[in-house]
Amino acid sequence: MILEKVKAILVEELDVEEGSITLESKIKDDLGADSLDLFELISKIEDELNVTIEEDDYGKLITVGDIVNYLKEKNNQ
Amino acid sequence: MIYTKICEMLNIRYPILQGGMAQISDAVLAAAVSEAGGLGIIASGNNSTKAVRAEIHKIRELTDKSFGVNVMLLSPYAKEVSELLTEEKVPVIITGAGNPGKYMKMWKEAGIKVIPVVPSVAFAKHFEKAGADAVICEGTEAGGHVGELTTMCITPQVADAVNIPVIAAGGIGDGRGIAAVFSLGAQGVQIGTRFLLAKECGVHQNYKDKIKKAGDTDTAVTGRKTGHPVRVLKNRLVTKFKELEKNNADIDEMEALGKGSLYKAAVEGDVNYGSVMSGQIAGLINKEQSCKEIITEMFEEAEKIMKDLKYAVGGGNE
Repeated sequence: MILEKVKAILVEELDVEEGSITLESKIKDDLGADSLDLFELISKIEDELNVTIEEDDYGKLITVGDIVNYLKEKNNQ
Repeated sequence: MIYTKICEMLNIRYPILQGGMAQISDAVLAAAVSEAGGLGIIASGNNSTKAVRAEIHKIRELTDKSFGVNVMLLSPYAKEVSELLTEEKVPVIITGAGNPGKYMKMWKEAGIKVIPVVPSVAFAKHFEKAGADAVICEGTEAGGHVGELTTMCITPQVADAVNIPVIAAGGIGDGRGIAAVFSLGAQGVQIGTRFLLAKECGVHQNYKDKIKKAGDTDTAVTGRKTGHPVRVLKNRLVTKFKELEKNNADIDEMEALGKGSLYKAAVEGDVNYGSVMSGQIAGLINKEQSCKEIITEMFEEAEKIMKDLKYAVGGGNE
């Protein structure tokens, strides 16, 4: 469920094919995001999933899986 | 008289900030701008805390007016400098090249006004939430480190997106530029290039002469590939950069070429092989004046233009 939402945001924000996104995809290296895109992405996720991603955690979000796990943990808190 | 929320917030007469230009904007220039009614900014660049502290103490001797310090967040000393500014309780902090989020709380608690430079709407909204007092949107017309968006495009979009005041930067060199960005929703301006020719600006005379001679098409952006694009005046260094880029040289080689090049131009006066950072507006800028002359002239002109425009759209009728 969370994965689907994150995928949809990635497709929209980064102009990538949904099929090319896996949990292992690196946001910058594989999906081509620069630092502005990454920030845009985080803002979108915060708005659409109604969460706050702590700034200290930005650096941990390297892959799609990192984002999904982070959001799952947030949900459980 | 032009008076905006920025004047009120920063306790200044004219809504103008002098850009924090690394290795150039020192206490002497900043004090002259503040004395003239704007907000002078000391650039901390890659300087150590010791050097930054000395400049802060110096400006406090030179003026009792408000001033700001620009923090370059990519600097190896960013954390130490951020703490120093809290300790010194500087009136205003401008941040560039990164995300000031982790320092925001500390600065706000010290009663400091915090104004980040933003490259996009998302950043502007984020910093507003984090407690920024205003934001500076800097278009790619600016000198030094630049983004992609133009001042014309980023300013109204950021102005629509946030409730805090917006300061526009990049491409503003006279009263016409001020009137233009005010139309776009800005309530203040930040200007760098024109202050390079201020009499109180200590940059090397060769650098000033190069700005004076520059025409409309004389700037270029190098380093797009390295991820740190910089706008400079074209010279032999730029030719070398372009060659390296064309030959797909590796990033380390390009960064090595750029290293120390600003010092070479700004301090040593080597404008052939040094990095002469400048905005696109250099072509318009050719007089050496005092900060006071620069600021009063620009705002008189802006005010006249705003009045003339009102007349023009009224078909000559008031």
